[in-house]
Amino acid sequence: MTIRRREFLGHMAAGSAILTMPAFLQGCGVQSATAISQATPENPFMTWFGVDQATAARVMSELTGRGADAADLYFQHSRSNSLQLEDGIVSSASSGIQQGVGLRVVIGDQTGYAFTEDLTMPSMLAAARTASAIASGSAVAAPQAFNPLGAGDLYTTTVPWSDVGVDQKLPILKFVEEKAKAMNPAIEKVAVYWADADERVMIATLDGKLVTDHRPMTRLTLVVTAKRDGKVQTGYSNIAAREEFGWYSEDRILTMVKEAVDRTMIQFEAIRPPAGEMPVILAAGASGILLHEAIGHGMEADFNRKGTSIYSDMIGKKVAEPFVTVVDQATIPRERGALNYDDEGNKAGRTVMVENGILKSYLHDQISAKQYDLEPTGSGRRESYKFSPMPRMTCTFMEDGPHTKDEIIAAVDHGIICETYTNGQVQIGAGDYTFYVKNGWLVEKGKVTAPIKDVNIIGNGPESLKRITMVANDARLDTGGWTCGKNGQSVPVSQGIPTVLVSNMTVGGENVS
Amino acid sequence: MSVDLQNRAAQAVAMAKDAGAENAWATASQGRDVEFEYRDGALEKVKDTTSRNLDIQVYAEGRYSNHQTTDLSPDRLKGFIAEAVAITRALEPDEHRQITPAELFRGRPADDLDLVDPAVAGISREQRLRWCESLDRVATDHERVISATAGVYDGTLNSASASSNGFAGTHAQTYCWYGSNITLRDEGEKRASGGWYVGGQHVDSLPDASDVARIGLERALARLGSEKGPSVKTSMVVDAQAAGSLIGRLLRPASGRSVQQGQSFWADLVGKKAFSDKLTIVDDPLIPRGFGSRHFDSEGISAKYLPIVENGVVRNLYIDTYYGRKAGMKPTTGSPSNRVIGLGDHSLEQLLKEVGNGVYVTSWLGGNADSTTGDFSLGLRGHMIENGEIGRPVGEMNVTGNLKDLFGQLELVGNDVYPYSQTLSPSLVFGGVDFSGA
Repeated sequence: MTIRRREFLGHMAAGSAILTMPAFLQGCGVQSATAISQATPENPFMTWFGVDQATAARVMSELTGRGADAADLYFQHSRSNSLQLEDGIVSSASSGIQQGVGLRVVIGDQTGYAFTEDLTMPSMLAAARTASAIASGSAVAAPQAFNPLGAGDLYTTTVPWSDVGVDQKLPILKFVEEKAKAMNPAIEKVAVYWADADERVMIATLDGKLVTDHRPMTRLTLVVTAKRDGKVQTGYSNIAAREEFGWYSEDRILTMVKEAVDRTMIQFEAIRPPAGEMPVILAAGASGILLHEAIGHGMEADFNRKGTSIYSDMIGKKVAEPFVTVVDQATIPRERGALNYDDEGNKAGRTVMVENGILKSYLHDQISAKQYDLEPTGSGRRESYKFSPMPRMTCTFMEDGPHTKDEIIAAVDHGIICETYTNGQVQIGAGDYTFYVKNGWLVEKGKVTAPIKDVNIIGNGPESLKRITMVANDARLDTGGWTCGKNGQSVPVSQGIPTVLVSNMTVGGENVS
Repeated sequence: MSVDLQNRAAQAVAMAKDAGAENAWATASQGRDVEFEYRDGALEKVKDTTSRNLDIQVYAEGRYSNHQTTDLSPDRLKGFIAEAVAITRALEPDEHRQITPAELFRGRPADDLDLVDPAVAGISREQRLRWCESLDRVATDHERVISATAGVYDGTLNSASASSNGFAGTHAQTYCWYGSNITLRDEGEKRASGGWYVGGQHVDSLPDASDVARIGLERALARLGSEKGPSVKTSMVVDAQAAGSLIGRLLRPASGRSVQQGQSFWADLVGKKAFSDKLTIVDDPLIPRGFGSRHFDSEGISAKYLPIVENGVVRNLYIDTYYGRKAGMKPTTGSPSNRVIGLGDHSLEQLLKEVGNGVYVTSWLGGNADSTTGDFSLGLRGHMIENGEIGRPVGEMNVTGNLKDLFGQLELVGNDVYPYSQTLSPSLVFGGVDFSGA
């Protein structure tokens, strides 16, 4: 398994990133931190991990014993559960516990990293010594205690997933199956996949912060296979959020079921569009994948501080029409990409990447923020305690523009409209990016005509931004469960967009002779 | 170490039995991984970790579930496994969920697969730094270089499995990979990038680090001035590395699960001529130093040579015990080991000469395939082939078609295997392929 991950790293150019469906500086405020923590009752997260202030301080001191500009201890406990319904029965479940602490020391742009799953003092001290080996200076003053910051409220739950039994979840899977089968007699197979997770993180930093966050997550996926006239088609839909059990209302589930069935059945009629360049309309919602690939990754500041992104020298320049504003915002309650604090313990927030057509800000972690002499944007994320953080997206979207969907469709003489997607990828240096369109439509003489399926679309980030000629007023976030991969780390994200016209992109298809 | 892991696995099985499971299968694993990343003349990141995991599959009252944890403190582990058994009981019974029958454990080969190099555990910080410096020097000497990141990744993985019906087995392997990714100044704001990594279980099998960096630099230089290629129906030459990934897409639905779930264009193909007679694929788990080599698979099925496609005729699919039982198919193995593609007799240069004109693909960018129908569309980077030679670099193009049809149009197979993968493929040539570009 490890080998395969290395192989993956080897194959992908640095910075390649895939989006798919299914890590300071200032001296430490030791004084105040100590004063406050003494007045605070025992932190429940500390109890959870079996770690007290003195233990954390001792480990931090070991971690920074050879010098540090920044350092953090990232404690994580994650409990995940999944259920699978195939052929009418819920006959498989899985659960997983991931618990450990990641220890990081940063000096300039150098990082030393280690983790341990054994939360005993000797193991944590050994890991701290290993991580500290990157440094060769003298010890910095580590805090004696850490100052707990207030818990965020973006995804508080009344019932944690650990209190929801299989007996409560199982009827939901059966309900989804029943409704899907009833929707069309051509449906031969139905598979339903359930996932939920409770993740608890506790971050202690060299500057004396103690951040805790309880991050719930759930996702429900429906896959249907239908047969008609000897032909077989498969389609799917899913919904995901940082939510609790009560979120699964009948309406929400039925909407998902209808989507999956519609997406499957339409494929029987679908054709491949002609190959080549044409105008591309991106339907509101999931088409936010364009932003994720065409600009989002290129705006992650690790690429830019190294000069490897096509956007490295573009801050302050006009990159799009004045009605184009692109935002990455972690503070949208209960979204899959939402975060109270990032994984470096900074308050997560809202970063305007493109404002009225002008390139405004990269997404920063602490290392890049220091290099650019800026405040971090709260964009430092990691997959788990096994990884050091780097700049990542959260919920990426474009704000409403001046046009309407109807105006946009009417403006296209010959092109396509894209509705659903499976995955995308970008090449950071050249700016070329792709996304795979599962369902869409031909647009001919201003009218939506034949359905299309299975075409890859490829473009160049900065060129596509310039070619966004119309933006409608129907922005919405997609409800699907997107996962973003970068340098071998996966994190949950959200994306959204209003209906948009890109005047020219390269569409995969057939060459008509 | 392997004795500790074997005990841990056996104890987990005993805990599950104590908690009321009829059967259980446990795998205990432990790994050490070290990463050095070096950028533009300085060490940027050092990561040194030891990780552990316990995976347990529970069979109780005709029901099944699987669980994993990194929290191995004895009291908590006991609670975890008791809860796993309780979760299992809350599911629905499924007659097809049964522990791997013991007869499938028989005949386990004992070949020396040579997957462990003791030298890996002894790689020093100085050695890693020397590799990084060699890799870095080649790149940073070039005038167009904006940034180069060199990486060294090495480690050891050990695991042991035990089951309530008598299975016991261990697996160990080492690895060492290094290489670099290089970004060059191109036209305007564009950056050309490329890289090359090499790896293996044995340190002495790896080429010299500066030679590796030179290949990476050449690959990055080859991207300079890349433009969008044409929309055209023509021949496609896929280089050995990119071909391995294409073969991976072809084989993804070649499984008992996909077929049983009605999501595979491989359904009904066994015994039939489905692809070009140039296509031969074998799953060979017993290649010494192979990236996918093993004595048994994740279900404990003894490893054996398994022809998948012979001269275009489908011979076997990847079938695990559960979906095999469900679909009435004999289990082979549910997970690929080394996928070996039958070689032709042409070098890459000869393939390009034979083709004359077309598109030479060196890497894919995104794209996907529908496992049910085989319809695919992939982004690509490569070069135009002009008069039998590698011509101008192109990108921002897609290739679109159907995987089953595409491998029916396989015209020529090279003799140049990309060695750093579980899929050992040479360069492949396909006729009449739809490209979209300008």
